[in-house]
Amino acid sequence: MLTRLIKYELKATGRVLLPLYAVLLVFAAVSKLIFSFSDNSFSVPEAISIMIYIMILIGMFVMTFVVMIQRFYKNLLSDEGYLMFTLPTMTWKHITSKLLVSTIWNIGSFLAAILSIIILAFDEIFFTDFLPDLFRSLSEFFSIFGLNSGLFILEFILAGIICMVSGILIIYASIALGHLFSQHRVLASLGAFLALSTVSQILFFCVTSLPGLDFLSEYIDSLDSLQASAFMFHWVMWFIIIFFGLLSAGYFFITNHILNKRLNLE
Amino acid sequence: MTPILECNGLTKAFGHKKALSDVNLKIDHGQIVGLLGPNGSGKTTLIKLANALLTPSAGEIRISGMTPGLSTKKIISYLPERNYLNDWMRVHDIIGLFSDFYEDFKPEKAYDMLKRLDISASDRLKTLSKGTKEKVQLVLVMSREAELYLLDEPIGGVDPAARDYILETIISNYNPEATVIISTHLISDIEKVLDYVVFINEGRVVLSSSVDDIREQGKSVDGLFREVFRC
Repeated sequence: MLTRLIKYELKATGRVLLPLYAVLLVFAAVSKLIFSFSDNSFSVPEAISIMIYIMILIGMFVMTFVVMIQRFYKNLLSDEGYLMFTLPTMTWKHITSKLLVSTIWNIGSFLAAILSIIILAFDEIFFTDFLPDLFRSLSEFFSIFGLNSGLFILEFILAGIICMVSGILIIYASIALGHLFSQHRVLASLGAFLALSTVSQILFFCVTSLPGLDFLSEYIDSLDSLQASAFMFHWVMWFIIIFFGLLSAGYFFITNHILNKRLNLE
Repeated sequence: MTPILECNGLTKAFGHKKALSDVNLKIDHGQIVGLLGPNGSGKTTLIKLANALLTPSAGEIRISGMTPGLSTKKIISYLPERNYLNDWMRVHDIIGLFSDFYEDFKPEKAYDMLKRLDISASDRLKTLSKGTKEKVQLVLVMSREAELYLLDEPIGGVDPAARDYILETIISNYNPEATVIISTHLISDIEKVLDYVVFINEGRVVLSSSVDDIREQGKSVDGLFREVFRC
């Protein structure tokens, strides 16, 4: 059932976001073309094209965010919820499918943005300066971190994804908490979001001040020299992964519990 | 045999307002039941509780002996009183969704009914009229081979000709073991198909009786309804 839910979720969201990605990439290419015809002076056509490009870029991120909220709120807690919640499947699968697909699109939008920037920046300098610089930095990175480089990159990506997931789940949990109220549910959701983020920040503060876990401040002090901080990088990454992983689990539990036991569709 | 639907002291309050209070009810297999009452009497609330879309404030509701959940969703085919269709889908997409999720869904039956009702499977749901959307939902619901059909105002928004076809579909489509519960205030239209009626008013069950018993008293369901709910 989970794979089928994911399939429909991808269909419902992809039809909005994939065309946006295409528009962004095509427009990046068009801007690139306009730029290549001009003689390096910054004139009106370039200014307009770059403005439109930036607007599409912002629009894409805003849409990714809106689709994420709308798919949870509209598909589960408005009239469409009458269909979704009468499907013979478990509530946690609804949440998981939406979370997974949202994460995919968040990463997708990020990659589309990077790709569009590469398209825009694509010229001789890109090959003669930027790429060699990038490789130089990378090889420096590998020489510092040595054999563990792959592990470091993995930890870094994992930490990034976990942070993203907890960002999505805090929104789901806020919407679910707002649903507990019989009136002003949107306002209640906003309030729930503020409350949840405050509680999470206090938790973060408390945990990092625990004796033995105060390496975060040490880490920040040691950032002056990459060599010195390399050793602590592991600790910091795993701390982030575990802390935000537990937070995510908490948000997920709240959402699932409310949608399971306290569902009251209007 | 366990009743297909059973309520014991079922109460649902929204804030201070009680939508249902202390409802006790037993509905057996193999009947067409009219859930009748004026607007705001609690018909929809009862049906939503049976579908786990609402959580009871007190008491319990059981479907074939089970509290509403995964296993009851498999055996209930539910037509809500509102439009739950995802606007971006086409008619055949939503039929695909039902085939994907419900083991008892018969797509060929659905296509057949769509044809009878002159609805094209490639139409976008967004472009359909309100009445046509209602028909599509009814087709989806009646194309399942469920044990319990919960139809909330199934004939409210459609024209009389379609109304007749829908009622005919409801009677002819279901298997003799299944129970159909139809909530409506349009009693005269469905009176002829009912085996059993439940009158509900201000959140309370005021009468539950077989239609034969009502007729033995020399009354019609419609007449009795007007008598009970006289304003």
